Amino acid sequence: MRKMLVIAVREYLAAVRTKAFLITLIIMPMLMSGALLVEWLLRDYHDTKTKKFAVVDRTPGARLYPVIEKAVQAYNEKTIDPATHKPIMPRFDVEQTPPSTNTPEAIAEQRLELSQQVRKGELFGFLDIEADVLEVEKYETGKQKETIRYQSNRPTNLDFPRLIEKPLQSAIQDLRMEKAHLGVSPEKIRWIMRPTSVQAMGLTRRHPVTGAIEEATLMDRIAPVMVPIGFLVLMFMVLMMTATPLMQGVVEEKMQRIAEVLLGSVPPFDLMLGKLLGMTAVSLTITAVYLGCAYWAARQYNFVEYIPPDLLVWFVVFQAFALLMYGSLFIAVGAACTDMKETQNLLWPVMLLVMLPMFLMGSVLQEPNSTVAVGLSFFPFATPMLMILRQSVPPGVPSWQPFLGVGLVVLTTLLCVWAAGRIFRIGILLQGKGAKLGEMLRWVFHD
Amino acid sequence: MSAVTIEDVTKTFRQHVAVDHLSLQVPRGSIYGFIGPNGSGKTTTLRMIMRILYPDRGVIRVLDEPTNRKNHRSILDRVAYLPEERGLYKQMKVREVLRFYAELKGFRRSGPEIDAWLKRLDLSAWADKKVQTLSKGMAQKVQFIATVIARPELILLDEPFSGLDPVNTDVLREVILELRRKGATIVFSTHDMSVAEELCDFICMIYKGRKVLDGTLESIQNAYGSDTVRVQLDVPAKLDDLPSVVKVTDLGRCQELRLAPQADTQTLLACLMQRGRVHHFEISRPTLHDIFVRIARPGAEAEEKGHA
Repeated sequence: MRKMLVIAVREYLAAVRTKAFLITLIIMPMLMSGALLVEWLLRDYHDTKTKKFAVVDRTPGARLYPVIEKAVQAYNEKTIDPATHKPIMPRFDVEQTPPSTNTPEAIAEQRLELSQQVRKGELFGFLDIEADVLEVEKYETGKQKETIRYQSNRPTNLDFPRLIEKPLQSAIQDLRMEKAHLGVSPEKIRWIMRPTSVQAMGLTRRHPVTGAIEEATLMDRIAPVMVPIGFLVLMFMVLMMTATPLMQGVVEEKMQRIAEVLLGSVPPFDLMLGKLLGMTAVSLTITAVYLGCAYWAARQYNFVEYIPPDLLVWFVVFQAFALLMYGSLFIAVGAACTDMKETQNLLWPVMLLVMLPMFLMGSVLQEPNSTVAVGLSFFPFATPMLMILRQSVPPGVPSWQPFLGVGLVVLTTLLCVWAAGRIFRIGILLQGKGAKLGEMLRWVFHD
Repeated sequence: MSAVTIEDVTKTFRQHVAVDHLSLQVPRGSIYGFIGPNGSGKTTTLRMIMRILYPDRGVIRVLDEPTNRKNHRSILDRVAYLPEERGLYKQMKVREVLRFYAELKGFRRSGPEIDAWLKRLDLSAWADKKVQTLSKGMAQKVQFIATVIARPELILLDEPFSGLDPVNTDVLREVILELRRKGATIVFSTHDMSVAEELCDFICMIYKGRKVLDGTLESIQNAYGSDTVRVQLDVPAKLDDLPSVVKVTDLGRCQELRLAPQADTQTLLACLMQRGRVHHFEISRPTLHDIFVRIARPGAEAEEKGHA
């Protein structure tokens, strides 16, 4: 027992006392939210090259083109930084193209020709306003097929159509009303026709101190989604940050024949368990740092109520068992291999198990108490991550479920640690050639 | 009383028989040398004594405790093992590594002991350096300290002298003798026959998993008898046709004759005197080196069976 602790302490210090650990601790959350971060960092760096668009206004008298021109002009003024006089956004350059004759063939022909120009790079895209967008008479029989189309070979950049959509829409409405001679002011009609949206919100509550009834905030909508995802991603991240070095450590000890010296002092099972406990302590350290930061941020921004303390306790419990369970499998893989390259071939079944909750995250989040979600969260390898996910989506889960989940996880962990110990015992001394999956299974049952 | 008793032990790896019906006894307080060519089963035997491996058949008793998986822990602290391939954590400092290995053997408060050993092996200046900065020889000395730091009763050393310069070899030799004086039993394997001759109370040679020699140096040399004669004549002559000469080895300045059992050296000398002037005639006992080569030389097996 004492020797196990000696191993665990060394393992812990070896992992925590490195610069790499500190750096990883800081960088990992950045990597996980990397896309968002990069976008945020690059928010000031836009492509400032002028983009050219063609506009075909087929409406009688081409009355919509001036609206576009005006909107673009207003936009172009904002593309230059007033202080530095440097462009910060791309300028838009619009050019009116006379419409073809109003037959389907001619229209198709013109669109093809404009498309060719886009392909050649002469245009960024083009806008095609159909002739009947201003039609108001045939409302009983008329099908709603009049469209304004924006064609481009860069479907991800929609800055231009977004820019002109709103002004174009209100201009069209104005023109239609004018044409219809309704005898009511356009302002009144627009007020009558204003869209009404359904707003998704959390629950209204009573302030615990003042007793005043408080409105649901925006946070009430975001937090119930962000907290579960945050928990799941955190657990996955910590697992990857500790289980992988654990495996690397075993391979390294094998390659440098340290294992042999250690086995002269410690029985193999104690050695393995010591390493596992050491790394579990590392994972809990990382968890404590991240959860501490998250909790502090939650207090700072007033959404601490979405991270109830009992949820934090459950998280730590599940985190610890997840590392023991997966860590033992990673150790078994490490012990069966003779270098890091070989681990790739054996690790995929383990990785599949670890990744499973990530794949299921979306559907479980959508319906956390469906039969499938409940069932999946009792599959021991998925339990730590899925149970905490379900627990953290309001209103949570029946209180017996996490207990049953932990029970199953403990049993599975014992099984994994036992099996890994059997593989470790034989694999750790194996030199020269790595084992195959079948061979590893044989070691488990071989005496 | 034996420190190690091995009775009829066999260990097989897949098809390969590494140790074949081996029996031997290591007396307490002795220095016991394992010799034998590469791949003859020395390391496997040491690992089995250490309980890193378990024999397929046979019994190994270490410090009067039979080895089986159940009492594995009971003697681990009393036995230490220096493997042939050195294993130290490269990122750890010398002192930390030593403290770690001492604690693994259940030896706490090892600080003063570590300092004394570092001083003894001239490593004090390196105590707070990382292991990866050490030279090969220094790392080996650190590994040796790690082995003996917890004052084990039985010390198993696999090739302790390989890679050491003559100065350090001498230091290590003194240390081993000192440990024996303090009551430890030392078992080591080596390729270096001169070290084995000088240091070992008992020598055991393993060849192809079997024991081929066992006993004190003297008893081994006696067993191989005085069947070797070195002669030097004034003119080089062909000597393999002489009566009772089995084999002639040309050593350059002299020739070594191996005689048939019970051959008379007087008769041989008389014959030699007829061939020329005898400058040198020496009845020599074979060195351990000679005996080793005789047994382990390719194609030597058949010849040795005849000899025995």
